[in-house]
Amino acid sequence: MKFIKEPYLTINVVLTGVIMLIMIYSVIFSPDKDDYPVTCIHEKLTGEPCVSCGLSHSFSLILRGRVEEAYQWNVYGMRVFLFFALQLLMRIAFSLFYIRFTDTRKQLIMMDIIGSILLFLIAFRQFFVYLIKYS
Amino acid sequence: MEEEVKNNTGQNLGIAALITAIITFVLAVIPCVGLMAIIPGIIAIVLASVGLSHAARTDSPRGVLVAALIIGIVASLISFSQVFVAGKIAEKADKWPDRIEEIVTDVQDKILEDLEDANVSIKIESGDEKIEINTSAKKKDLVEKLEELEGEDTSVVDTLDQE
Repeated sequence: MKFIKEPYLTINVVLTGVIMLIMIYSVIFSPDKDDYPVTCIHEKLTGEPCVSCGLSHSFSLILRGRVEEAYQWNVYGMRVFLFFALQLLMRIAFSLFYIRFTDTRKQLIMMDIIGSILLFLIAFRQFFVYLIKYS
Repeated sequence: MEEEVKNNTGQNLGIAALITAIITFVLAVIPCVGLMAIIPGIIAIVLASVGLSHAARTDSPRGVLVAALIIGIVASLISFSQVFVAGKIAEKADKWPDRIEEIVTDVQDKILEDLEDANVSIKIESGDEKIEINTSAKKKDLVEKLEELEGEDTSVVDTLDQE
């Protein structure tokens, strides 16, 4: 349990677990059965679908290789899915680099923070636009 | 030994707060679950605050804790703003039926206007025979024609009796 002493590694391990849980959730629940436990609060309150409606369907369909159908459920689904997939790879890669190259740890963390923020802004850009438009 | 345990507590709190804050931030941006993100947001702020007070007592590093607190606060604010977003959309949704009704009435009026001034031409061709019917639905023309007809002698000329 040496990694517990390294906060960066602990954070990476936990975030990897969270992303894996998202992937497992998308695999377990079927888009054909439509048995997703998470419903859109926004739609319940307003009666109008929001920009993120159909994201769970989209993720499940992408993982099943039905990309065209995924686009029909949510146009931004692929972008958000790619963000999570990239984050999963980044957590593993950066953790390995962190263990291997002890001299450049600070630079590595800075690179990770900047890269992740940029990716987040690109993937969720439309959600921010939606938020700004209606608030 | 006791100091090391205290330091570890502060650090663990910082890690927990930062992870919660990051997850809250991602959730807060997604409108479907944005409102729910306020719960982990508050948890992140509380964890970071407790961690900071620990860090102040033990004089341990606060970088992670401050980062967690800032991300937690921003994420909670974004999550809270979803309430206003939902409110605005609901407000707009209430106005939509009236607007749809207005548009339907406008379209209906326009169609009626167009029909009033319409010229209808029907051509029927069957082999060498051709029939062409031309008529006008112009309201003015119809009124004029009616007046013309009313002005004419309307007595029935029955030619059958004469024969």
